[in-house]
Amino acid sequence: MHSYYYFIHKDRPVSDVPGAIKFFLVLTLLLQLLWHSLQDPIVAKAEDLAAPLSTRTYVMSSLGEPIAVSKLLNLWLQAFDNQPGASISFHQLDYPRLTEWLDTSLALDPRGHYPMLVAARVYGSIQDHEKQRIMMDYIFYKFNEDPNKYWRWLAHVVITAKHELKDLNLALKYANALAEKATGDNVPYWAKDMKIIVLEDMGQIEAAKILVGALIDSNEITDPYELNFLTSKIKVLEKKLLKKRQSVEK
Amino acid sequence: MFFQILTISKYTVIESLRNRLFLLTFLVIVISFAMVEFIGDLAITEHRVTQAAILAAFLRMSAVVIVTLFVVSSTVRELHDKTLEMILAMPIRRGNYYLGKLIGYFYIALVVSILFGSLLLLYADSQQVFIWSVSLFMELVLVIALSLVMLFTFNQVPSALTGVFIIYGASRIVTSIFLMAKYPIIAHTSIAQQFMDGFIELLTWLLPDLHRYTQTEWLTYNTADWATLLPLLGQTIIYLLFLSFIALFDFYRKNF
Repeated sequence: MHSYYYFIHKDRPVSDVPGAIKFFLVLTLLLQLLWHSLQDPIVAKAEDLAAPLSTRTYVMSSLGEPIAVSKLLNLWLQAFDNQPGASISFHQLDYPRLTEWLDTSLALDPRGHYPMLVAARVYGSIQDHEKQRIMMDYIFYKFNEDPNKYWRWLAHVVITAKHELKDLNLALKYANALAEKATGDNVPYWAKDMKIIVLEDMGQIEAAKILVGALIDSNEITDPYELNFLTSKIKVLEKKLLKKRQSVEK
Repeated sequence: MFFQILTISKYTVIESLRNRLFLLTFLVIVISFAMVEFIGDLAITEHRVTQAAILAAFLRMSAVVIVTLFVVSSTVRELHDKTLEMILAMPIRRGNYYLGKLIGYFYIALVVSILFGSLLLLYADSQQVFIWSVSLFMELVLVIALSLVMLFTFNQVPSALTGVFIIYGASRIVTSIFLMAKYPIIAHTSIAQQFMDGFIELLTWLLPDLHRYTQTEWLTYNTADWATLLPLLGQTIIYLLFLSFIALFDFYRKNF
């Protein structure tokens, strides 16, 4: 009860305020409203993606919090297509500039995978083959820097090249790199096997069969499931090869 | 003597309760929680890592700002209300008064660290959060001592706060500045440049290694272990003593 009384009656009544003060309070409020009405109307204008600053600048401006600033940059970049009052599609984004931003974010947080995920699944999934290729090139470039770390994103790119771009030669180039460079224990066999699948799809069944045979003979594969898969794959490839030969003979 | 120190620290804690400092801390926690949950909805991958990284950076900065504002405003009020003069008129050594205030502020720093750390438990590994919270406490200990030094030097809130934030900010980024100066893109050999390089190197010697404290990386990638805290503890003790003697040097010379 006491505190209620205190909060209601702690100030003097409004009538104690000099009239001039009340008058000028209202007047200045009106002045502010008038000022605002005279300003140019606010129009939504889509902005182009500017070049990122150096990583050092971000580190210093965040007082030495590179990981936090990298995460914030990721979110900001991801939302760049939704600017206040204007919405731009990913098609309109400057893709080479976009890769600079992704690179900056990765430099700030080298252990993060966020930039690679958006490169593969967000910016790399648009219906613009030229821009898709820029993103795929970027992922391939990053893969070459650290194959055992970024193999999964290149595997995604193999699928994109094969199914969306329908560019089997490109898919083979990436699958080849996966098989040759991603040799770490953390890389699963299915990623290394992608080359066989792409060769098979390209109709190079003989080459695929030789590759499977070489893999089995190398004794590098110890996993029984993988060996089973490769053995059955050889049988499937042999059948396909036989069919192919028969159709040629006919 | 010990009783005097404890009484002063006790009243410092009471003042923090009356200033609704902990209410403010809870408010920061609620705002941070709402913010970080929203961020979690925006992220399309690495949700927990993104949330932990942004939350940790925000809480670290908030803790420093809250504690600095409290220490500076509370001590300056004692200076201006003549409470300090009244206390010093009693048979209390200036050193005991300083120590009492320091212990009271440490208690506040401890509570803030624990409260902020408990929110992080929702997003990161508990051991890493514990190490992060201990490190935050040590960082706040240095911020408290620095705030007292700045206040005894400048006597005014704006200048003291500016001083604290400049030195704190410089302590966190001085290593980056040093590396930039040491390995420039275009090499300069002018006297002015050499002077600046020397000055920056001097700063790295004089300022504490705050960039090693309370690292977000610990929470996001579980990189800290108990041994991480040892060098931080060493730096905290040395720099706390250094700042305390600067503050006492100023305090003993003051005429009221």
